[in-house]
Amino acid sequence: MSESRELLALRSVSKSYGQVPVLHGVDLSIRDGEFLAVLGPSGSGKTTVLRLIGGLESVSSGAIYLDGRDISAVPINRRPFNTVFQDYALFPHMSVAANVGYGLSVRGRPKAEIGKKVAEALDLVQLGAFANRQPAQLSGGQRQRVALARALICEPRLVLLDEPLAALDLMLRRQMQEFLKSIQREIRTTFLFVTHDQEEAIALGDRICVMEGGYIRQIGTPHTLYYRPNCPFVARFFGDNNLVPGTLGAVDGDLRAIDTALGRLVCSTGGDTALMQAPEGTAAFAAFRPEALRPAVEDDVNRFSGTLSEISFHGAATIAHVATTPGDVRLRLRLASQVEGIALGEGETLALGFSPAQSHLVLA
Amino acid sequence: MTASLRPASLFLALVTALVGIVLYCPLLVPILSSFFTVTHGQADWSSPTFAAYVALAQNDDILSALRATMIVGFSTVVLSVSIGTLLALYHNGRGAGAALLQFLVFLPFLMPPIITGLALLIFFREVEFPRSLVTVVIGHTVFVLAIVYRTVLTRLRSLSKTLVEASLDLGASRWQTFWRVILPNIAGAMAGGAVLAFALSFDETMITILVTGTTSTLPVRLWAMMRLGFSPDINALVALVLMFTILLCILAARLLMPAKDRAAH
Repeated sequence: MSESRELLALRSVSKSYGQVPVLHGVDLSIRDGEFLAVLGPSGSGKTTVLRLIGGLESVSSGAIYLDGRDISAVPINRRPFNTVFQDYALFPHMSVAANVGYGLSVRGRPKAEIGKKVAEALDLVQLGAFANRQPAQLSGGQRQRVALARALICEPRLVLLDEPLAALDLMLRRQMQEFLKSIQREIRTTFLFVTHDQEEAIALGDRICVMEGGYIRQIGTPHTLYYRPNCPFVARFFGDNNLVPGTLGAVDGDLRAIDTALGRLVCSTGGDTALMQAPEGTAAFAAFRPEALRPAVEDDVNRFSGTLSEISFHGAATIAHVATTPGDVRLRLRLASQVEGIALGEGETLALGFSPAQSHLVLA
Repeated sequence: MTASLRPASLFLALVTALVGIVLYCPLLVPILSSFFTVTHGQADWSSPTFAAYVALAQNDDILSALRATMIVGFSTVVLSVSIGTLLALYHNGRGAGAALLQFLVFLPFLMPPIITGLALLIFFREVEFPRSLVTVVIGHTVFVLAIVYRTVLTRLRSLSKTLVEASLDLGASRWQTFWRVILPNIAGAMAGGAVLAFALSFDETMITILVTGTTSTLPVRLWAMMRLGFSPDINALVALVLMFTILLCILAARLLMPAKDRAAH
């Protein structure tokens, strides 16, 4: 996947609505054939990115390139991309077949060809028997699949999906995630998928682009983002990390010390040169996941005591809030519910620790 | 079922009944008496007859008034539906000055008709535009434009904005999008607006009296006849106008009902 060529690129793309900037000089490269998830909270600019690529909005500055050619000025109806809208946007006065065939019909393709391709597209989304229904007669999941078939029939270079699963219930959403992924593999078309749900982004994306406040914070595989977040926002939004602020200390191989309210901690830099080369005293965060935090063992370098509160049982795991001594830092702790010899109780104080390998540093 | 027994529902039913009795029951008198001969103010209840209707059909004044009403009605519909739809499309596309536009469109509808009529009359006189059915059509169009505009705009607003985006996204031109996506979805509202516009034009009297030339429309004719008292042919005319108006209202209500509800019925 990493060797595949670039299909689409955004170069310093900015967008403002009147005086309100929503996107600040974004650079993004989309590879041919990949499933790219754009993840961010509402107001992060992720939908704007999709609308700019689709041609529903025009860029305020910067440019969008397709196969290296600037397409910023190409109008929406001449861009070889198709969109699956959040509300599906099926034409209510047309049958399912007419909806799916619309893209070919407006291009003046012959009826026989349209009929054949509509049947193929409906078979692909497993709705072959529904061709003559009206959109109002379909369930949410079925409408979603019609919208997908309608977008795919024009054989777009890139399919844009604007939170298409947001309106579905959890069970259906899981099914549709698998379905989308399998269709994308089958037709080998590039998908750009916008979502605010990190689990969905992990389930679908070959790569994930995390956005916040009109900036792209990090782009990488789900694995990279999960284990090597590059900023406090990604660490918090993507992995639910505990973040303890501090200042960087001495480097020791792949590890580096950080002075925090919990005392001196030792965390992994993951070999990141920016982290290794940052001068001592630089502001940073020690980041570790709730499941990395555990009762202390004999040779823990990262060791402190914590008082438990708000213990909640989540089946396989139990989650608790921890107030540390020293520092009174608030952390989250996630333990397997059944651990030999440990009974968690509110107000209980115990020695806690985490291994440097299961932590990392993030520059502030 | 239990809902209909609640006090609020009972009260509502009572008010409805009262409105019916006070407003519309009196109309039964001319309708009933249109089927009987009246001599010296006394109806002869023994022999029902269609004589009044036959007389009406042979009354050239009435027939020419009816023809004028139809011409004015249809012309008004064509003009108000085209202009009203265009304005609604412009407004919905968030064209500049939408609020001002809405105000201007609604002004003649909310103003007393006599003001609108007088204003038009003075205008036509000042620009030396001869008064005729053309001026009546202009007057009616100005008056009913708001209805068509509002009906179409409401339907446009209820359409998801993404429908237009989806159409363009799938490669359609703006023109194709209008014909294939927007128009089919607002056609019902346009037809409903047209029927309402026709109904309003059909019984518009005040503006018509002020701006018409020598030709009378049906309500103007009716009004002139009523000054001499209620004759059987007036009764017959009232009955026919009432029936026609009720039909138009039913038609408009059906057309304006959202497609979703219609499918469910």
